[in-house]
Amino acid sequence: MPEFNHTVHKKVVVIPAYNESSVLTSVVKSLLEKGYSIVIVDDGSNPPLYSQIQNLPVYFLRHRANLGQGAALQTGFDFAKKLNPDLVISFDADGQHDVSCIPSLIDPLLNDEADVVLGSRFLSAEKTNIPFIKKILLQIARGVNYLFTGLLLSDAHNGLRAFNRVALQKITITENRMAHASEIIFEIKKHGLRYKEMPVLIVYTDYSKKKGQSSWDSIKILFDLILHKLFK
Amino acid sequence: MSGIQLLLLTGVAFICLYFVIQLKKKLLDLVLLLALIAVAVLFILWPDITTKLAQKLGVKRGADLIFYISILIFWFVVLKLYARIRQLEKSFTQIIREDALKKASGPSSNEPASK
Repeated sequence: MPEFNHTVHKKVVVIPAYNESSVLTSVVKSLLEKGYSIVIVDDGSNPPLYSQIQNLPVYFLRHRANLGQGAALQTGFDFAKKLNPDLVISFDADGQHDVSCIPSLIDPLLNDEADVVLGSRFLSAEKTNIPFIKKILLQIARGVNYLFTGLLLSDAHNGLRAFNRVALQKITITENRMAHASEIIFEIKKHGLRYKEMPVLIVYTDYSKKKGQSSWDSIKILFDLILHKLFK
Repeated sequence: MSGIQLLLLTGVAFICLYFVIQLKKKLLDLVLLLALIAVAVLFILWPDITTKLAQKLGVKRGADLIFYISILIFWFVVLKLYARIRQLEKSFTQIIREDALKKASGPSSNEPASK
């Protein structure tokens, strides 16, 4: 692996991306403005995302085949470890996360109150326009996660999370697709990591809705989870 | 011997031949397979046995019993295949991840990470 030691990387943002439009560029720019180091993992996009971020000062990795968001995150984490950051943030490429949420998100890590901070769209005081069916599905997913882990969280599948060094070393994602969101909770439980939920704002644009998960996907996630437990 | 018996026996013979060639070195698998083949041949030549067995188990027809058992075996095979697929996916992921990490590009390099 190439050596990347020339700068100090305190806060690294990992962005898994698959066939993203120009939204990715604006997401990256808004993060760069705040001084975060950025790792983009192109999960086998066709055409490759390199052209979109060519002139931006970011780390760029590319899966040669599409594996899924979970796999892309883990690749990003593996790479981030080499940068030796204080903390790592996972951030969605589709523009549904707000950069302004990050400072409050990472606050518990900086104060050493938690090893992992999970973003929750349901703790947010501001009412987000969560589609009705999504609300129901997230409630069910919450219940499923509780059954599997014993941790009852307010939001089941939120891509905005922050990890400190301890968590980064301990958590390993093996679920390549969307079941990784539940797997992270399993890992928190398994390693006895301290966790906290913080309110974040999710912006549902037409683009992010299209890029996001359909209702059918939740069935697939459940299936993956059962297999995960079965073949552990 | 009726036509269907001939047909089934030929099929079984071919499957047997194929697996014997494939499994030469795996003794346990081979023994298991030969046992299955023996049962299959037995049932094909004397189908009444299945009916007698079925009635002992509370199923009316021998064909129904075979059908129920087939469903069980089908589920078993599906699970085995899923386990296999997941294993393959794991190695596949590892290879792709290693490749991505090796070809990572940094903020200052202008060359594309990979094409």
